[in-house]
Amino acid sequence: MKKKLVSMLLCAAMAATLTAGCGSDSSGESGEKSSSSGESKEITFMAPDWANPGDELLAEFTEETGISVIFNEVSWDDIRDKVSIAASGGEAAADVIEVDWSWVGEMNSAGWLEPIEMTDEDKEDMPTLETFTIDGEILAVPYANDYRIAYYNKEHFEQAGITEVPETWDEVYDALKKIKEAGIVEYPYTMPMNADESATTSMMWMAFSRSGQVFNDDDTLNEEAVMDALTFENQLVQDGFVDPASISFNGMDCYRKITSGEASFMVGPTKFVGISNDPEQCSEIGNIVPILLPGTDGTSPQTMALPEAVGITSFSENKEAAQEFVKWYSSADVQKRMYAVNSSIPTRNSVLAEMVEDGTFENAGAMLDEADLIKSVFPNGVPSYYSEMSNTMYNNINQMVLGEQTPQEAFDAMNAKVNELIEKK
Amino acid sequence: MKKKVSPLYRVAVVIFLVLTVGPFVWAFSISVTPEYEMFKNTMNMFPSEITWDNYLTLFDSISQQHIRLFRGLENSLKAVACTLVIGIPVAAVTAYTLSRMEFRGKKIIKNAILITMVIPVFATIIPLYRMFSAMELLNSTFWLSMVYASSFLPMSIWLMSNYFSTIPRELEEAALVDGCGRLRTFFRIILPVSYPIICASMLIMFLSAWSQFQIPLILASNIDTKPAAIVASEFMTKDTVLYGITAAAGMLIILPPAIAALVFRKLLVRGMTGGSIKG
Amino acid sequence: MGVLVFYPTIMTFSYSLKEMKLTSPEDTDFVGLSNYVDVLTSDSFMYSLQNTLFLLGVVVILTTVLGFGVALLLNVDTKISGLLMALAVLPWALPPIVNGIIWRFIFHPGYGFMNKLLIRLHFIEEPIMWLTDRWLLLLIVAIVVAWRSIPFCAIVCLSGLHAIPEELYEAAKIDGGGRVTVFRYITAPLMMPFIGIGITSASITAINIFDEIVALAGYKDLGKNLLIESYLTTFSFLDFGKGSALTYLIMLMAAVLGFFYLRSLNREVEF
Repeated sequence: MKKKLVSMLLCAAMAATLTAGCGSDSSGESGEKSSSSGESKEITFMAPDWANPGDELLAEFTEETGISVIFNEVSWDDIRDKVSIAASGGEAAADVIEVDWSWVGEMNSAGWLEPIEMTDEDKEDMPTLETFTIDGEILAVPYANDYRIAYYNKEHFEQAGITEVPETWDEVYDALKKIKEAGIVEYPYTMPMNADESATTSMMWMAFSRSGQVFNDDDTLNEEAVMDALTFENQLVQDGFVDPASISFNGMDCYRKITSGEASFMVGPTKFVGISNDPEQCSEIGNIVPILLPGTDGTSPQTMALPEAVGITSFSENKEAAQEFVKWYSSADVQKRMYAVNSSIPTRNSVLAEMVEDGTFENAGAMLDEADLIKSVFPNGVPSYYSEMSNTMYNNINQMVLGEQTPQEAFDAMNAKVNELIEKK
Repeated sequence: MKKKVSPLYRVAVVIFLVLTVGPFVWAFSISVTPEYEMFKNTMNMFPSEITWDNYLTLFDSISQQHIRLFRGLENSLKAVACTLVIGIPVAAVTAYTLSRMEFRGKKIIKNAILITMVIPVFATIIPLYRMFSAMELLNSTFWLSMVYASSFLPMSIWLMSNYFSTIPRELEEAALVDGCGRLRTFFRIILPVSYPIICASMLIMFLSAWSQFQIPLILASNIDTKPAAIVASEFMTKDTVLYGITAAAGMLIILPPAIAALVFRKLLVRGMTGGSIKG
Repeated sequence: MGVLVFYPTIMTFSYSLKEMKLTSPEDTDFVGLSNYVDVLTSDSFMYSLQNTLFLLGVVVILTTVLGFGVALLLNVDTKISGLLMALAVLPWALPPIVNGIIWRFIFHPGYGFMNKLLIRLHFIEEPIMWLTDRWLLLLIVAIVVAWRSIPFCAIVCLSGLHAIPEELYEAAKIDGGGRVTVFRYITAPLMMPFIGIGITSASITAINIFDEIVALAGYKDLGKNLLIESYLTTFSFLDFGKGSALTYLIMLMAAVLGFFYLRSLNREVEF
C-alpha cells in the first residue's frame, strides 16, 4: 500500500513538473521565433554585462529609431566560442557582437565582420579606432577604453626618501630597490606573469614603453626590444621585487596588490583610477597616483591600448539597423551616460576630457595625457594568428619567471612560433 | 544489528568528516570574508570580521546579482524538471524492453546505447549547435533538456534494466495469465515495485543535469535559459574577480541538489541493490 | 537520441577529415587523415596525453580505493550512519565548475587554506606554490576530481555490500572464517562487478576533466589534458578540423575503456 502511494506521488510530481517546467518554456520559444523574423526592426546584441547600456538608454534608442535591441549577455570568455561556432555554419550569433582588440585580426580574415563607416572627426577623437582598422577598413568601434598607465604609491615612495615622480624605468628600478631595502613593503612591484593573456600583453607594453616597438614591419618579433623586455622582467623577479606567489595569480589579483598597499608601483588598466578611489576596494585611498608610463629617457612617448569594441557580423540580416545602433552606441552622449550605468571608460578623448574636468574621475592624474599617447603595437594590425601566438608567449614568459628558462630560451621559442605562424599565413 | 563503536571507526569518521565537510566550511568562510581582507597576506585562518554582505546582495531582490543568480537557479530547475519528465519514462520503457523482451539485434542496441556514455561533449557540440541554429531551437529549455536527457539516458537505462532483471518473473507471469497486457503489466506490476530505482535514476539525472556547463553555454546561454553554474562562473571573468560573492553563489547553487540528494539517499542504495532484496 | 547523439558524432568525424581553419575560410579541402597525423606527431599532443594518463591513473585509484573505504564506513550501522551518508553524497551535488572554484580557494598560493594551515603548523616557512609545478598541479587536480567522484563510487560499492546475502557471512562464521578470510573470499569477489562499475565510471570522469583544470590553472600548457588541448585548438586557434580530430582521438581512448565498461556491465549481477 505504501509503495503504491509513493508511486502515485511520483506520477503526480512528474505531472506537476511537466506543466510547470515544460509548459512555461513554450512562451520562451515563441518569443524566440518572433525575434528571428526580420520584419519588425529588431536586432540582437551579444556582449558581456559591462557593455549593457541598460534598459533606459535602449528604450530611448528604440523611441528615436524604431529599432528595438535585444541584449544577450554572455560572459566575455565565452563570446568567441559562440561567434565562431555560429559563423562556421554561416550563421550570425547576433547582429552586433563584442569584438575584443585581440580578436579583430582573426575575425577579419575569417570574414565575420562588416566594415563600418565613420567620419574623420570620429577617427580623430577615438585613437583606439586604429586598433580595429585593417587595410583601411574599420571593422569595429571601441566602446570601452583601457590603456596602460602607471600607478605609484606616493606614500611608500616618500617613506623611502623619493619625492620625485619616477619618469624612466631606471628610476623605477632604483625606487623599488630602496623601498624593498627600507622594508616598507616586501614586494614593491606587481605585474601579471601567470600563463594567461595578461602576461602576453604585459610583455608587449614593457617592450613598447622601453624600446618603442615590439614587432618589425614584417610582423616578426623585434629581437632587441623583446629580449630587453624579457630580461628586465626576469631581473625584477630575480631581485625579489615581485611576490613569487603572484606568478600564478590572474591579472586582476596582481593589480589589486597596489590597492591593498602590498605593492608600490605597477603598470595597469585604466579602471584602477576609479578603483583606487573606492574605499570598498582600496585601503590606500589618496596615496595611489596615476602617472605616465615610464620609458628609457624620460616618460614613454607611447602606450598600448586594450580596448573593447562592438562590430557587426557579416551574416547579419539587419545590417542597416545594426549600423545605426553602433553609431548611436559610440556617440559622445551615450558614452558619457554609459559611464554612469556601468563605469566603462569612454573611448572618445573629448568625452574623457569633459569627465575629468567635471570631476567624474577623481585624482585622474596622468589619465588624460596618457590617452593622447595611445598607439597600436602591431605595424600591420592585429594578426589573424594572435591567439596562437599569445598562447606560446605567455607559456614561455611564465616558464622564464619560474626559473625554468632563460630569457634567451623564452625568446627563441616565441620567435620560432611567430615565424612559423607568419610562414603558414 | 548495532555494532560496538570501535576506535578505528571513530578515527575513520573524523578523517571522513574533515575531508568531506572541510572544503565546504572553507568556501563558506570565504563567502563571509570582507573583500579587502581576502587579499591581505595574513595568517589568520578565519576572517577577523564577518560580513554577510555577499548574502545580503544575493538576496536583495533589486540587485543585479540577485536577479541573475535566481534567474539562473530557476532556469536550472526548469531544465532539470524537463529532463526528468522526458528522460525517466523513456528510460523506464527502454530498460523494461531490454530486460524482458527478446528480439533480434537486442544486444547491439543495448551496446550502442551504453557506448554513448563515453562520447565527450566536444564531439557533438559543434554539429548540434548548427542543427539547433538551423531549426531555431537555440535558447529553448525544452530542447536543451532533450540533449541532457539523451546524454543521461544510457546510465539510467542500464541501472533500471539491472533492477528490472532482479524482479522475479513470476510476478509478471501471474498478471499476464490474469489477462493483463504487456503495457498494463508494466504499469501495474513493475512500476510500483521499482520506485527505488526510479527515484535513484531521477536523483542521478537531477545531479547530472544540474552540473552541466558546456552544453548550455553553447546551446542556451540566453538570460532566460542559462543555468546557475554559468552565472556563478560569470562572477569571476576577465576583469572582475569577486571571490566572496562567487563563493556565496556557490553555496546557494549546491543547495537544491544537496537537498535532493539528502532526501533520496536511502532509495539510491536500495535502487542499485536490486528489486529482489528487501530494503 | 539518434538525432541528438549519433548524427552529431558522425558530423564531427567528417570535420576531422577536412581542412577547416576558420581564419582561412576559402580553404576547406578534404585532407583524409592528415589532421590525425598532424595531431599525433605534435609534441603538445604527447604532453597532453601524458597529463591525461596521469590524471586517469590517480583519479581511478583514489576514487575506487577511497570510495570503497567510504562504503565500508557507511556500512557500519551506528547512530550517526544516517548523517554520515547524508554528508557523503554532498560533493556529488557539486557542478564541476563550482568544485574547481571552491578548491581554488584552498590551494590559492597567497591566501589559500592549505598554505595558511601548513605555515601555522610550522611545517613550512614560505607559502608553497601549489599550481606552478606540473606534477603537483596534476596531483591536486586529480584529488579535486576524485573528491567529487568518490560519492558515486561509494554508493555503488555500498549497494554491492548490501546485496551480499547475510547468510553467506553467517555460513562463513560457522565455518570459522576470520575477518580477513571473509573479506578475501566473500566480500572481495562478490564486490568485483560493483568495483568494476566504479572504476569505469571514474575513468570516464577522469578523461573528461575540464572545468576543474580551468578553474585551478586556466588554459596554460602546464596542466593541460587532451580535452583542454582540443578546446584550445578548436575555439582559441579556430582550427575546427584538427580540433575535431583531437576530440575523436579522445573518444577512441574513452571507447577502449568503455569496452571494459560494457564487459563489466553486461555481466549480470547474480548471486
